[in-house]
Amino acid sequence: MKDARHGIVRSILLSSLLVTGAFASAGIEPIGRGFEDLTLKAGLIHKHSNRVFKNPYAHIMAGYTALGAAVAVGDYNRDGFEDLFMTDSKEDGRNHLYRNNGDLTFTDVAVEAGVAIGNDAQDASADALWFDYNNDGWLDLLVVRFGHNQLFKNLCNGKFADVTKESGIDRYMNAITAVAFDYDHDGYVDLFVGSYFQPINIFNPDTPRFFPESFETANNGGGVIVFHNNRDGSFTDVSEKVGIKLSGWTLDLGHGDANNDGWDDLYVACDFGTDHFFMNNCDGTFKDITSSAIGLDSKKGMNVDWGDYDNDGLLDIYVTNITDDYMREGNFLWHNNGNMTFSDVARETGTYSTGWGWAAKFLDYDNDGWLDLYVVNGWVSGSDESYVPDIFAMVTRPNVDFADARNWPPMGNKSLSGYEKKRLFHNERGQIFKDEAPRYGLDSVRDGRGIGVADFDNDGREDLVVSNANSAPFFYHNLLPAGPDGPHWVELVLEGTRSNRFGVGAQVRFTVAGKTYLRFVNGGNGFASQSSTRIHLGIADRKVVERTEIRWPSGATQVFENLGADRIYKIVEGNPKPAHFSAKATK
Amino acid sequence: MRKPILFAALLLALSSARADSAASHENALKALAAKDYTTALSEFETALASDPDNIEYGSEYRQAVIQATAYDRCIKFFEKLVADNPKSSNAELNFGFAYVDKIPASGTITQVILANTALTHFSKAIELKPSWIGYYTRGNSYLFWPKIFGRTPLGVADLEQAMKLQKQDNKKIYHVRAYVSLGDAYWKLDDLSRARETWTEGLALFPDNPQLKNRLSKEGDDLKNYIEDALDPNKRVDTNLREIWTDK
Repeated sequence: MKDARHGIVRSILLSSLLVTGAFASAGIEPIGRGFEDLTLKAGLIHKHSNRVFKNPYAHIMAGYTALGAAVAVGDYNRDGFEDLFMTDSKEDGRNHLYRNNGDLTFTDVAVEAGVAIGNDAQDASADALWFDYNNDGWLDLLVVRFGHNQLFKNLCNGKFADVTKESGIDRYMNAITAVAFDYDHDGYVDLFVGSYFQPINIFNPDTPRFFPESFETANNGGGVIVFHNNRDGSFTDVSEKVGIKLSGWTLDLGHGDANNDGWDDLYVACDFGTDHFFMNNCDGTFKDITSSAIGLDSKKGMNVDWGDYDNDGLLDIYVTNITDDYMREGNFLWHNNGNMTFSDVARETGTYSTGWGWAAKFLDYDNDGWLDLYVVNGWVSGSDESYVPDIFAMVTRPNVDFADARNWPPMGNKSLSGYEKKRLFHNERGQIFKDEAPRYGLDSVRDGRGIGVADFDNDGREDLVVSNANSAPFFYHNLLPAGPDGPHWVELVLEGTRSNRFGVGAQVRFTVAGKTYLRFVNGGNGFASQSSTRIHLGIADRKVVERTEIRWPSGATQVFENLGADRIYKIVEGNPKPAHFSAKATK
Repeated sequence: MRKPILFAALLLALSSARADSAASHENALKALAAKDYTTALSEFETALASDPDNIEYGSEYRQAVIQATAYDRCIKFFEKLVADNPKSSNAELNFGFAYVDKIPASGTITQVILANTALTHFSKAIELKPSWIGYYTRGNSYLFWPKIFGRTPLGVADLEQAMKLQKQDNKKIYHVRAYVSLGDAYWKLDDLSRARETWTEGLALFPDNPQLKNRLSKEGDDLKNYIEDALDPNKRVDTNLREIWTDK
């Protein structure tokens, strides 16, 4: 009976999709039918709450710690459907492991899985990262925290074990972001952790001087720690050895191969000071080439995502900053010049101004083969009263010591860059981006933090999950036309054998109708969020991908000819036959 | 008998200082033309030390500083100049501009600090000698502040004062600036009709002015984008005051 009812529902849905498809093919676009907000139906019911501090500086810190609402996408139970981990930050707040039921609903199984407890009096969750630290093919979980990070080993039975202590990563750090990729090509992903505050206990600070010493050149933050994976379940801090020694106010890390040498480089986005660019020397070390690659800046870097927005075969980088009436920094869209230098084309492309930016992700939501951008924003949405005059009263006070928290005005219930509308930038053939967020109802004004991009129902359309500070998340299901009537798509699930198991760092070059498209597997790029590691390519009206070339981190290259459209393929390194991925949504 | 001799000696000393100052100015211009910034800046500083209220020397010095990107040297120089010459209104004015000149080369928060400090010196210049350039400069500076700071009404007051002064004066080429800025100030206060009225009045007097024409030809978001672009602190404002001495 239940199946029959589902069948009827499916028929109705199918009819409506066919009608939508017919409109699309007739050139009439389905207004307002692009995405549906399925948050509550999907069961993503838990609201994030900011941490409330209990120390002498709590009233000041409250304005600067509206952080910790993160979302990480990963198929932890290997059932073919992408699951979600979402964080809370309040002292007794539980984190949530939302298992994808395969029908666009999720069940929070965090307690049973043993990963719910991520907040206490001395730790606050800030971000999360799925990565396979022991290379067994099952995603493990890192909960990034102000305090001590947590590493949970996937026991391959729906449960996790806390292995933080034995892993060697246990130390006090006010961590806010992490990415995992195999920088030295030893077959195991390594861990890069960025921290915001320096490693002092911010829950009970023994000094008031733990705020940024400058708004533009601060170097008293938490920096970046590089943990080399020892391939035995443990890690070693190799930051200095690999040439990454930073003390800025890190907000995000993003990796990608800027010069197509097969070795991933690293972009570090920092608040209160310059971002950094590290070139991978292909020998287990990095070189800081910030000055020549991107130049020094004094902006408030919040997010890093890499993607080839203009389909020229080189990965570009998108970084959000603060752009408001009182602070016109503008975002960076770093166009890759192909010689390890980048040019900022944010103004020219219309991606410059997105308010107080947070996560921004490249995706191809309409499967036209051009990477679009979704950007969330907003710092604190409080009362009608603005905090801006208060902060600038401090800024213009002579000889003020910014590092001293006591000099910062309390925010109270005031707003600072609040109620900002999110942006969905549609890529107009690599030249300019046009905001389509209002058209699709993706222009919420909640204080957005993270964005998880994934095809949650395996229908070839990229859906979105947004984490919001002090608020409930959003789950936006993509309903745009795709599939048999076009636009078409292909997705690849990569599995490394010589390379790391999830193929992080692998580059895929698709040739469709004589044009080549570059996509890659990233290990957690984007502020407070991680998207799917599945490769997605929209191919518009083409039904075949003539050539698919995979460059694995191991150095191996594989080529597949004539992959048919509208399918998910599983490709195992070294296996010449791609397999069809069978998981289908039941709705 | 002694008094006239002393007076004559003083006059002689003054005219000699002026001559020295003019010579240094000439040397500065020559060095600048040869892109010898080190010499140019030193010569300008010598000229200004002898003639601190000379608005031309101060303005040209700052333009050379912009080319040499020697903003901090310039600020330091004016700091001493106004300390040594506390009655010099134009030295204060140029001191304020020295901070403004550094704004596009600074981060967003430093921009605020610089702009705020510049205002202090513009106010001091007005206090020492109320003038069209003083009111116009300070009034225009207020317009660069975001609305939230509530400084636009102060800008309107200054620009209305500048307008009042210019209406009592013969028509000068630079008077068009007050029409542009006062109109922008009204626009910023959401009084579009008064803004258009001001720009229209300006255009009647300066019919070829492109800034006025552009403003009057735009509406809504187009006008907003145009004015916001003109008031973007990341873009360099032309602080060359040459019109002041070329159109006396």
